[in-house]
Amino acid sequence: MNPALAVSRRAVAWLPVALLAFTGCGGRGGCTNEYCGTVVFAASAEPTSLLPAVSTMAGERDVFDQIFLKLAQIGPDGATFGDSSFTPELARSWEWTDPLTLTFHLDPRARWQDGPPVTAADVAFTFDAYRDTLVGSQDRTALDHIASVAATDSETVIFKFRDRYPEMFYDATYHMRILPAHLLRDVPRATWQTAPFGRAPVGAGPYRLTSWTPGQSIELAADSAYFLGRPHLRRLIWRIAGNLNNSVTMVLSGEADAVEVLVTPANIAKAKADTALALYPYAGSTYNFVRFNMRANGDRSKPHPLFADPQMRRALVLGADRPQMVEAVFSGHAKIPPGPMPQLWSWLWRSKLTPAPFDTLEAARLLRGRHPSFHLAVPSSSPTRMQYAQLLQEQYRRLGVTVVIDQVDNATFQQLLESGKFDATLESIQTDPTPSSSVAALWGRTGPTNWGHYANDRFDALVRTASAALTRDAAQAAWESAFDALAQDPPCIILYALDNIAAVNHRVADVRIQPDSWWGLVRTWRIPPNQLIERDRAGR
Amino acid sequence: MTVATAAALTAIAVWTWAVVAWCRRRPWGDGGQRFFRHPGATRGMVVLVFLATVALCAPLVTAFAPYQQILALQDHPPSWLHPLGTDFLGRDVWSRFAYGARVSLGVGTLGMLVAVTLGGLVGAAAGYFRGWTDTLLMRGVDIGLSIPRIFLVLAGIALWGKLGLAALIMLLGFTGWFTTSRIVRAEVMSVRERPYTDAVRALGARPWWIVLRHVLPNSAASLIVSAALGIGNMMLLEAGLSFLGAGIQPPHPSWGNMIADGRDQLGTAPWTTLFPGLAIALAVMALNATGDALRDALDPRARGV
Amino acid sequence: MRAWLLRRIAAGLAIVFVTVSLTFVAVHLAPGRPFLPPDERPLNPEVVARLQHRFGLDQPLGVQYVRYFGALARGEMGESFSKRRPVAQLIAGAVPNTLLLTFAALVIDFTLGILIGLFQAARARRRSDVALANVTLFFYSLPTFWLALVLQLVCGLWLGWFPTAGTTDPALHASLPLLGRLGDRLYHLVLPALTLGLVGAGGTARFQRAALLEALGHDYVRTARAKGLAEPAVLVRHAWRDALLPVISLAGVALPFLLTGAVLIETVFSWPGLGKLATDAISARDYPLVLGTTLLATCAVVLGSLIADLLTAAADPRVRLTA
Repeated sequence: MNPALAVSRRAVAWLPVALLAFTGCGGRGGCTNEYCGTVVFAASAEPTSLLPAVSTMAGERDVFDQIFLKLAQIGPDGATFGDSSFTPELARSWEWTDPLTLTFHLDPRARWQDGPPVTAADVAFTFDAYRDTLVGSQDRTALDHIASVAATDSETVIFKFRDRYPEMFYDATYHMRILPAHLLRDVPRATWQTAPFGRAPVGAGPYRLTSWTPGQSIELAADSAYFLGRPHLRRLIWRIAGNLNNSVTMVLSGEADAVEVLVTPANIAKAKADTALALYPYAGSTYNFVRFNMRANGDRSKPHPLFADPQMRRALVLGADRPQMVEAVFSGHAKIPPGPMPQLWSWLWRSKLTPAPFDTLEAARLLRGRHPSFHLAVPSSSPTRMQYAQLLQEQYRRLGVTVVIDQVDNATFQQLLESGKFDATLESIQTDPTPSSSVAALWGRTGPTNWGHYANDRFDALVRTASAALTRDAAQAAWESAFDALAQDPPCIILYALDNIAAVNHRVADVRIQPDSWWGLVRTWRIPPNQLIERDRAGR
Repeated sequence: MTVATAAALTAIAVWTWAVVAWCRRRPWGDGGQRFFRHPGATRGMVVLVFLATVALCAPLVTAFAPYQQILALQDHPPSWLHPLGTDFLGRDVWSRFAYGARVSLGVGTLGMLVAVTLGGLVGAAAGYFRGWTDTLLMRGVDIGLSIPRIFLVLAGIALWGKLGLAALIMLLGFTGWFTTSRIVRAEVMSVRERPYTDAVRALGARPWWIVLRHVLPNSAASLIVSAALGIGNMMLLEAGLSFLGAGIQPPHPSWGNMIADGRDQLGTAPWTTLFPGLAIALAVMALNATGDALRDALDPRARGV
Repeated sequence: MRAWLLRRIAAGLAIVFVTVSLTFVAVHLAPGRPFLPPDERPLNPEVVARLQHRFGLDQPLGVQYVRYFGALARGEMGESFSKRRPVAQLIAGAVPNTLLLTFAALVIDFTLGILIGLFQAARARRRSDVALANVTLFFYSLPTFWLALVLQLVCGLWLGWFPTAGTTDPALHASLPLLGRLGDRLYHLVLPALTLGLVGAGGTARFQRAALLEALGHDYVRTARAKGLAEPAVLVRHAWRDALLPVISLAGVALPFLLTGAVLIETVFSWPGLGKLATDAISARDYPLVLGTTLLATCAVVLGSLIADLLTAAADPRVRLTA
């Protein structure tokens, strides 16, 4: 679309509202300084609870990371080893009293949004809550290595670990958002899942919740007295769009200012053509794959007639033209990972690992003239995965392999996975900044989400070595051997890892995106006074 | 488009013209005259005969398989080779359109057949037997009618899990018979009161025999009309379901899932959604016009409307 | 009349009870389970078990059924699994949005439909009538969501005339004066209401035209003509009064259609109404919310047909409501 039209259409779009606003109250000029900006985010899904301990979705994290703080924040390089790249947040400083004891000194300036100071007792309370099975926190098991958390005085809190490993500091700080003990102590733990606190959270962060209209929007307001510096953006608003398409439409029409991912080349092209938008690429935290079921469809006691045979799985890996599919679906805006990993683990991408080649001859040899047929379950909610399923179906058809696509809704998909009633599934996984949690969970023999019952003892041993490696180099080497072992006996076909591209309105300056938590750095964004529009000036 | 497909298309056009012209010339009697006096009847028939023939002869009029992907040609605008362009997977939109006609028209027609059969039986039973049978059946119909149909279908899809073509047709049929049954019931009630029914009954015929042999044929007119109108509704519903990601399973094309597939590119590659959208509208229009004309033809009371 | 009303209400309640019971059994039998990972982070099975216990899903189905209706009798609709709020609160939030959209669509539908129908009847079988007949039939035959997508793209995105999503502008709405807030709401209403209204108007116009033409053939209209009344007066004062009746009863029937159409429209325009709530609930297997919306939709339709009957009776003294 031509730029002139793009500008004028926005002027036209807001004209009626602006007219009404000014005829109603000409005097209300509103906010015009450095601290006025209002940014509207388009959200694909609505949060269920903003209580971090019971939250399960990334969309919730986007919002509550503005409201709650961690002890320390992961650095811009995303390194999870040691503590050197972490930056202080609620904790002003920390030291290791011995290899298993970590002491944090809280920032005395930190206050809860309802007044009282943040104390070491809050931290101890938070750890207790995250570990409580009654609460049912998704992060409970991630804290397994921490034996205890105790407050010695109001500003000092001591973490004791069970064993020594490189990501101790990461585990102590990354998973928990510190919660206000004085507001949550009396709420029965078993009711946290539905606690009203999740709809009216109170934290110690730069923003506080001002309104939440279910199904429509969530609004946060900046705390001008925030102890780590006053945020420039005065208001943050999440508009619930319902799906990615609607989110992108909202941003293109100017009704929202930012969307965290564009995913499809069509969306990327539209956003590029829109002069009001700036694009910000960042490393994505998801990867997508076809999972094979090692056990018979619906009967875990028997081996799968096709996929119990590693040669069959290898043939299917080799028979998929993944470069062509990435090009066809993403026009180059995604990469083929050399192992089960997202782009977020960038240090692993710089290794000598390479993705399996596209080799129909070898695939045909491994198939030995067989013409297998299997079902591939795909959630209907994901258009890109549906697209991939159809591409795979067509490529395998040429190899003499019949793929029956079962397009099922998300709820059914999840149940198929859990009950083992599938041959193969097309899945997408969002990971933590480190491989040590998700790789074992997905592909380890006892992993809770190893739905295909893959078992590879050599791989499991290598994963254990890699997770315990004390240096980045050692870890890299160990992960490489682990992924190599996985490639020899593949449990899945790794298809793609997205390049995430965020689109943010040009009037927002200093946009920085944190790969593991997209809007984590919003407090540093700003809108220069000469860029303010009606939305920013509007006062409450 | 190759020369062969162009020739095939021309042949279909000629065939359509011939069929419609033949129908017009046939001495159908009063009904036929009334049918063709309806302003939309001829055009409606032309559209329906054309689309149905294209659907039946899909392999003849297309140069590509509907699922064949030419990845070098994604989102290509209409050209001589691809008269309706290509979609996001480089598939020929015309091929998908032609094969999609099979699915869309087929699902609509078969779904309606199921619905009409069920609705006819239930309505006939309720109208003929009256009493508690009638009360029970009609309260059931009230319940069915009281829930918005798309919820019924969505819930049905959730119940089914994986939805095959047959299941979808059954589902559309099972949720589409309520109105038909009401129409048939009313018709049966009026037929039941006519003297010849009494005469047949007096001759000792069994109730079911009476319903099947004498009552149903008399309500055929209203059944046929409601079926013609219902097929359109089925097609629209199938399209809506595909849009919600719950319709026909890939790689089978249907006009509904073609629109759903192309919604992203509505602005950039409009041909992928425009043609199936127009096709649905045209087909439904034609069905409505034909249905109206049929009503004129079969029911002299409604003449002049 | 009173006996008739009582009977209708009793029948209505029975319908509601059976419908909700059937839905209860259906949603629990459906494959798939609630508490889905909302995005691509797999949920720990331990967390799921905790949630199932919290919401009583580890109880036998019979116990859950009795519990549900017990709570319902006390006026409680339970707590939504996926939104973690009371179902009643969610529905109360969505109903005004759906009513607003449905009402606006009905106004557009009937104003346009009746006017076009009148115009067509006045010029029956002339060129303008035939042309309009084609246009109305076309709109009537369009897939609603397709029209919604096109209108959203053209009027919303390309021309920028109207907003593409939501009921209000959350960044501005609260700070606007009363008039401005009203304007903001209407402004957001335009595209979704227009889509639904246009499709509906196609049907209404066809119906109105047919009813008018039939009325025009009646004896009393001929009498009126014979008395020398001008044709427009005959049409409006005599025929139209008669032909309005079936159209009014159409309004009652149109309600479920508008609710159905609204499901897709609400999805396209991110309109937080009942249809969207219900489809979200079905796909999340949010049992209490599915049941709650079914309950409401059934009540609405039962009430709608009751009101349509009452209206018909009020408009036409010949219709008697008898038990």
